[in-house]
Amino acid sequence: MTMQNKPNRREFIHLAGGGATALYVGGCAVSPSWYQGTESMHNINGPVDKHNWAELAQLALAKIKSAGCSYGDIRLIETQGQSIRAQDKRIASVRESFDSGYGIRALYQGAWGFAAGAGFAKADVERTAALAVEVARASHTLMKVPVKLADEPIHVDKVVTPRKVDPFEVPLEEKCDLLVRLCEKVHEQESVIRSNGRLWTQRDVKHFASTEGSVIDFDLLAIGGGFGATAKGNDDFQSREFLVPYSRAGFEHILSYDMLAQADRIAHEAVEKVHANKPTPGKYDLVLDPAHLALTIHESCGHPSELDRALGYEANYAGTSFLTPDKLGQFRYGSEHVNLVADNTHAGHLASTGYDDDGVAGQRWPIVEDGVFRGYCTSREVASAIGESRSRGSCRADGWRSVPIVRISNVGLQPGDETLGSLLEGVKDGIYIEGRGSFSIDQRRYNFQFGGDAFWEIKNGKRGAMLKNVIYNGITPEFWGSCDGVANRDHWREYGFITCGKGQPGQSGWMTHAASPARFRQINVIDPKA
Amino acid sequence: MKQVLTSESAFQQTVERILKLSSADDTFITMSDSNAGTLRFANNQVVQHVSVRSPRLTVRAAFGRKTGSSSTNRIDQASLKETVYKAERIAKLAPEDPEYMSPLPRQEYNTVPSYNASTEALSPMDLATRTKPVIDACFGQQLVGAGIMSNSSSVRGVAASSGLFGYERSSDARFSLTASGEDSSGWTYNAHRDCTQLGIKDRTHRAVSKAILSREPREIPAGHYPVILEPAAVAGIFGPLLWSLGAKSYYRGDSALAGKLGSLVLDAGLSVASDPENKDLLGGGFAGNGLATTKRDWIANGVLKHLYYDRFTAQEHNVEPTARPSAIVLSHNGPRVGSVDDLISQTKRAILITNFWYIRSVNRRDITVTGMTRDGTFLVEDGKIVSGLRNFRFHESPLRCFKDVEASTSPMEAITLERGKMLLPAFKLPDFYLSSVTKF
Repeated sequence: MTMQNKPNRREFIHLAGGGATALYVGGCAVSPSWYQGTESMHNINGPVDKHNWAELAQLALAKIKSAGCSYGDIRLIETQGQSIRAQDKRIASVRESFDSGYGIRALYQGAWGFAAGAGFAKADVERTAALAVEVARASHTLMKVPVKLADEPIHVDKVVTPRKVDPFEVPLEEKCDLLVRLCEKVHEQESVIRSNGRLWTQRDVKHFASTEGSVIDFDLLAIGGGFGATAKGNDDFQSREFLVPYSRAGFEHILSYDMLAQADRIAHEAVEKVHANKPTPGKYDLVLDPAHLALTIHESCGHPSELDRALGYEANYAGTSFLTPDKLGQFRYGSEHVNLVADNTHAGHLASTGYDDDGVAGQRWPIVEDGVFRGYCTSREVASAIGESRSRGSCRADGWRSVPIVRISNVGLQPGDETLGSLLEGVKDGIYIEGRGSFSIDQRRYNFQFGGDAFWEIKNGKRGAMLKNVIYNGITPEFWGSCDGVANRDHWREYGFITCGKGQPGQSGWMTHAASPARFRQINVIDPKA
Repeated sequence: MKQVLTSESAFQQTVERILKLSSADDTFITMSDSNAGTLRFANNQVVQHVSVRSPRLTVRAAFGRKTGSSSTNRIDQASLKETVYKAERIAKLAPEDPEYMSPLPRQEYNTVPSYNASTEALSPMDLATRTKPVIDACFGQQLVGAGIMSNSSSVRGVAASSGLFGYERSSDARFSLTASGEDSSGWTYNAHRDCTQLGIKDRTHRAVSKAILSREPREIPAGHYPVILEPAAVAGIFGPLLWSLGAKSYYRGDSALAGKLGSLVLDAGLSVASDPENKDLLGGGFAGNGLATTKRDWIANGVLKHLYYDRFTAQEHNVEPTARPSAIVLSHNGPRVGSVDDLISQTKRAILITNFWYIRSVNRRDITVTGMTRDGTFLVEDGKIVSGLRNFRFHESPLRCFKDVEASTSPMEAITLERGKMLLPAFKLPDFYLSSVTKF
């Protein structure tokens, strides 16, 4: 199931979905401004003429080297997106976006500079490279400890997300029709007052080149969707949602979820939820569905395992981490059932892009092994702080405008040997939680609160009636310490995230968290108005 | 060297080119372009420094009630042609939108004081120079400083085949610092159009003092406490109330305020208004859809006065549409003191909260939210700060905790990690639910 570094060397797909045949850009604009007309080149591979990207990249790298920088890299990126949103039985918006530009990093005597631009004339690229150096020189005046990058082999490669159906080639009418039908279907339930649906896809074509000699081309695709219903009644309103998890795949991924077949159930559950009881606050055994656990893993394991946070880089924004380097290799993070593995080689997972934005190859390594904290997500900049000689390849930017930063990898909970049935059988009085609801965690990732999208009581080993407004609160290592069973691989599910906020200026991180259902004993279910 | 942003005449020309290319019934255009520099420091040194040019153009086309939107960051003739073509192709294929509204006709916009030349002029080296004393102040107290120093200049435009046209320049400077000790921290954040108005020196001093004062924090049990909320903390808990002011949700039944127009929803001294022309706020002259922003009371003396009406809902209810709440001023007509220190000095026992973090909705029905205290939580006894405290999680609703305000200051500048800039008082509140404690 793992993706190779050199998957298939398939050619870039001709973008027929745009309907356009000739899209022109590039060449030799004389002005720095993005709105100036440019000499045109016919290009069949996408809106931006990419035939000279390698040349532009080397031009920027030469500029950086000649300015006396010890390292530099450039990412030229073209992004195409499509987002369709339905609301209350209507298509509320259809948006296609196209975005292109490049980000250049320069390391001057151990200090970083980064500049990004959108003009593809040679003069624009050179000017932006010079700006990156100017920024690095300014940084150097406040440098105390020079940045030293961990070694990485030179890579010359091309990475393509495998896809069966190009989402940009699926007729728009078909997508709109699906979303409107989903809305109509959930409104068949009389108490449903609001509905929504969405389909989203993004393709990134990227050329990475570094002064060390790595040259990597990417053609990456991601897709996701879902729908939801809000029901009113019982002096309340409540929502229920169905997710097609974000994944690196084509439109076949959306089709494989057959959303229409789920609409009736989701609408019924929204109505049942609005009439459901609230739990009596107290300690409960929880069985958590993968669609819920994915977020718990993200917040309570993923973020604290980012080494830049542990080193204080995010102290002013996203926060730091209770998993400080002195705990590496010895801290008891959870029970012996808890095995969390980072895997940026797993096909379909969002952070499986072959290489990260440091040009480091994707890897698989333990974060928590038999309950003990074993590893961090790292970049070439921070790896040496924990005595590691190679980066874990977890350094990514959310586009050409953004500088690469340490990001959570595809951290997943490894399957155990239980079944869903055996997990439930072990519970006398508990709650089954599915999906994402209210979530919040402190800036060192100790004290969290999670809700969910749907809740069922578990009575004497059986799932019973729905509940609503369930929230639980805990302290990360105590919570994972109470895990006494994880279901087997048959129950393993994967959930991608594209809205992980971090960095200043803010960026969105993409990664996938997979899990099998797991059981947690005596967790504090709370009343927000106590 | 940074690059020159799209000028008004260049935008005007682009609009004309787009309108010439378009065959739709309606064409609606938005544009933004910016140069932004951000220096990020941590561990008392620079860890990241970026300079980014970021243009964007969006075209929305409509045939009857069928609409499509396409955006690009290139506006050479071929890209414009492609963008218009795509928007129109989508519009032709999309189903009719019963809520579609044709673009507004030409509007009159107020000129908002949104631009400052000295903010735009700051170079990467200027950002470093301004950061140095901040780092030195932390280092001098054996503290570790992390934060940002940034400046940006932006332009944005809106135009349509109906004759609608707007163009606005703005600038934005930001400064934030988290000063950390072994077991303590202090925080500050400000943003202003004018980089000389950030108050860097005073704010650095306050953040450093808080990091020193909060050393060896005590743990006290979770529970209901009287609190003094600094303006940033007020912004955090108050912000979610703004989500509920939309008329569409109000009338379709999924707003916490449904049915409460004209009713008392907050303390009878509290008023909430938009003030786009306020020089200490970051307001603009027009909203994204081209509606003019205006001064407006949303809540006056605790009574819900106005909702914001998207254009479709406004038409349904035969009222004027309104831009979303922005450039917010919260004010309190009641017992008033001069400063947070005055609130502290008149307090017998309370918890002083600098800021909240990771605020999320728990129950939309009554706007209950949760979050954590962060970077400066203290126990106040007999008019003095007696100790730093371990941080708390809270569960509260602005509709509950602002029912009764004991005392307040004048509105002050506040911006948080999760909310835009507002002017809000510091409050003393008699009852606030701090539901659990964390480990630091």
